[in-house]
Amino acid sequence: MTIASVHNLVVKYGNFTALNGLSCEIPEGCTGLLGPNGAGKTTLLKTILGFVKPTSGSASILGMDIIQAGNAIRQKVGLMPEQDCHIPGMTAVQFVAYAGELAGMPASQALRRSHEVLDYCGLGEARYRNVETYSTGMKQRIKLAQALVHGPKLLLLDEPTNGLDPAGREDMLELVRSVSHGKGLNVLVSSHLLPDIERVCDRVIVVMKGELRAQGTIKDLKKIAGQPIDIELRDVCPPFVAAMQAQGASVMPPKRTTYRIQMAGLPEETAKIAMQVARDSGAQIRGFILAERSLEDAFLDAITSTSPPVSTQTSDGGNA
Amino acid sequence: MVTAQNVSRWYGQVIGLNDITCEIGPGITALLGMNGAGKTTLIRLITGQLRPTTGDLRVFGEEPFANPNVYRRLGYCPEIDNFYEHYTGREFVKFLARLDGLSKADSKSRTEEVLEMVGMADRADRKIAGYSKGMRQRIKLAQAMLHNPDMILLDEPLNGLDPVGRREFIDILGALANQGKAILVSSHILFEVEQMTRSLLLLHRGRLLATGDLGVIRSLIDKHPHQIRIETSEPRKAAALLASLPNIVSMKFDRSGDSIQLEVREPDSFYDALAKAVLESDLNLRGFSSPDNNLESVFKYLVEA
Amino acid sequence: MASSPIADLTYRNYDGPLDPPVNRWWAIAKMSMRLSTKKKGFWVWASLSTFWYLILLAVFYFAETTATATTALGQGNPFFKNIVWKDQFLNAFSVSQLFMLILALLLGAGTIANDNRANALLVYLSKPCSKLDYVIGKWLGIFVPLTLVAAVPTLLFYVYCLLSYRSYGFLTQDPWLILRLLGMVMLPGFFHASATLGVSSLFQQGRLAGATYSALYFFGLFFTKAMQTVIFVNGPMGGESTAPPIVKSLYYCSIDGIQIGLAKIFLHTDGSQLFPGSMPVGVRFAIEAPSAVVFVPAFFGICGVFMLLAWSRIRAVEVVG
Repeated sequence: MTIASVHNLVVKYGNFTALNGLSCEIPEGCTGLLGPNGAGKTTLLKTILGFVKPTSGSASILGMDIIQAGNAIRQKVGLMPEQDCHIPGMTAVQFVAYAGELAGMPASQALRRSHEVLDYCGLGEARYRNVETYSTGMKQRIKLAQALVHGPKLLLLDEPTNGLDPAGREDMLELVRSVSHGKGLNVLVSSHLLPDIERVCDRVIVVMKGELRAQGTIKDLKKIAGQPIDIELRDVCPPFVAAMQAQGASVMPPKRTTYRIQMAGLPEETAKIAMQVARDSGAQIRGFILAERSLEDAFLDAITSTSPPVSTQTSDGGNA
Repeated sequence: MVTAQNVSRWYGQVIGLNDITCEIGPGITALLGMNGAGKTTLIRLITGQLRPTTGDLRVFGEEPFANPNVYRRLGYCPEIDNFYEHYTGREFVKFLARLDGLSKADSKSRTEEVLEMVGMADRADRKIAGYSKGMRQRIKLAQAMLHNPDMILLDEPLNGLDPVGRREFIDILGALANQGKAILVSSHILFEVEQMTRSLLLLHRGRLLATGDLGVIRSLIDKHPHQIRIETSEPRKAAALLASLPNIVSMKFDRSGDSIQLEVREPDSFYDALAKAVLESDLNLRGFSSPDNNLESVFKYLVEA
Repeated sequence: MASSPIADLTYRNYDGPLDPPVNRWWAIAKMSMRLSTKKKGFWVWASLSTFWYLILLAVFYFAETTATATTALGQGNPFFKNIVWKDQFLNAFSVSQLFMLILALLLGAGTIANDNRANALLVYLSKPCSKLDYVIGKWLGIFVPLTLVAAVPTLLFYVYCLLSYRSYGFLTQDPWLILRLLGMVMLPGFFHASATLGVSSLFQQGRLAGATYSALYFFGLFFTKAMQTVIFVNGPMGGESTAPPIVKSLYYCSIDGIQIGLAKIFLHTDGSQLFPGSMPVGVRFAIEAPSAVVFVPAFFGICGVFMLLAWSRIRAVEVVG
């Protein structure tokens, strides 16, 4: 089942076209929304929530049309915005319960659920404190809690790790991952930090200048044609390179001590040859893996290429 | 360029930095730590905004506090965005150049040079109010380089940049480092740091936790055995073969059934033994790698220790 | 599903009841009121705002006890014979104006301003709440408590008078008094709710909004007092003032002036001196009620302008990014 399908969506602010005929399908699971600044990611989120009226085109979220069913959609969607936000003058429990009531929960359920959600988000005794006294990490958690309280089917996260220190990021990503897998909750994450996206998402959508540039599973986007392998040595070792080339392999210049090697035959065979060669030339192999592009490279490729959008959803469809 | 000897700084009862002894040389050095670890305090001490409570801090051989001789050779790129928003980028940089004491003509030519360096020359005539985060960061870097400093300090320079901007910014910093300048970058985002440098300065709760090269630091963390993940279609066969190897502390099958996870000590000799074992059998490996051989794991091991 | 003896306490989705996503303003209003009534200041100032009724009760009590000794039996009490009942309510209303302002500042000045600072709109608007729900909810959150504060003592006093002073024409003087009073007690809530929302929406800090609103109030008050002086200086004590009619209209051009003016229109009276019976009959010590044709539309117009201001300042489009 698709969570959201967008058809030729055009959104204009005055003369500025923020979304220019965007079409995409968001399947179940956790999807990353990538794009440089000003690519239209935020506009897409706004349109999904019904804050912006599209000039033309259509979109449906969870089977509901964005133009007709704004309120019904917002009841089933949770938004964790990028900026700090809370409702002043309340404790965290009150705030989250109130957010639930706003979404239509009965008051008695809202308070119960508020405690439950704060447990998931790891806010302990601090929940009885006023939100204004919170640190950055706690504010991020409370934002997630208020987005989850009413049990949304789709969760929109805008830069969820903004301003967090490494431990805080780790916690937040773990949290997002745990709520988004196997719990009937679908997530759309917009972030500039590609490793974060890689940690929590299965698929990505890349937009640029209001158009779709690529969509598909992260695994597929990272694939490189020809199945080269990356071999990491302990030290840089020119004799190893020379010997490999003698075997008929093409060796790309190293990144630190990692060589990318391409030769005919299965990767397993290449690896065996490389190990043999390494032993003969006195190099020590510290690791080898089937080479893949970093998500960053794949992303940069997608936004700089002029070719039509890459879609890789045929290979294994929704693997949610 | 910076040497600190038992430097401490506290604010009333709150300790900012506790007995730091370190050196910072040319090239890019990453300043890491959690919130409240003392990164900002250290930057403020080096830029002479604060005086160490105890200890001896020298920048270019002199004490930095209220010392214009040091300021002349330092560039500082703060975290906060405070501009005169109605200026254009070019006006703003030129204005700061005049504050730096350059003559009118010099400030003009120097402004063009630094704007060129950060790749903003073509966009600098727009008002700062309309700048994106990346452009703001570049303007901040441009103003920090006006007086051609020998050392540049950057506080969270990559915050809010998109991947394109981030890569370009890292390239600019790399070019500066190649010119022999010392660059101290504080950041929360470890994979970014990893792309920039392997040289670290890790603070934790005001104490200096580690300093030096990432690889060296990792190999010194003996408490956590190296993890090695071996991917193969025949994990049980591989396990039987590997069990006889020395150094293996533990062995675990992955749930998906196509890999095993090892913990080993003295990885150097293990890798040699692994190559030998594989070559002398008909075992086919799809790959092996060390998942904790990166900055993120090192940071975690050190901070949680 | 066979239930396992170990409960799974990891994240689960909420599948319990949800109200349909309409009319969410009630949730907002309810929460605003809950927060208001938690403030200690609310209760203190609300209690203080009743003090004129307390004074009246005391005056009535003494009038009664002293009168029984001096008045011949069966004559009735001259104090109560001359009294214009509705003017007592009008006076209490006028006196409570300052307290209403303080309450309005306490409840209203911060509402939108503090929300602006905390980006609270992001939370509201990403839930099934529209801008209209937000404004209505916030408005009711000020209107209802203020109206209750005005209404409770007024109605209690009405009941007291009804039980005690029917023989002195309490009911016959104006049989519709109760309806007029109900209209009157809604005035401060209506005006302050609209005006504080409008002012509050211009600021990021509740204090600034409060300071601005009280500045508006006191400038208006100063103006009204100036007009009052003009009127009384131009007329002999107790006689008809010779000041031009425009001055009498201008007298009502302030935050409390317009409310008192409207109260006079609603009650159908020009008002009279504070203590009944202390002036000879026929002597005026009050400024006549303003023209209903001008002031009723003006009142709602001003409230409307403030509401429009609030409406235009709340923008859903700014919500993300």
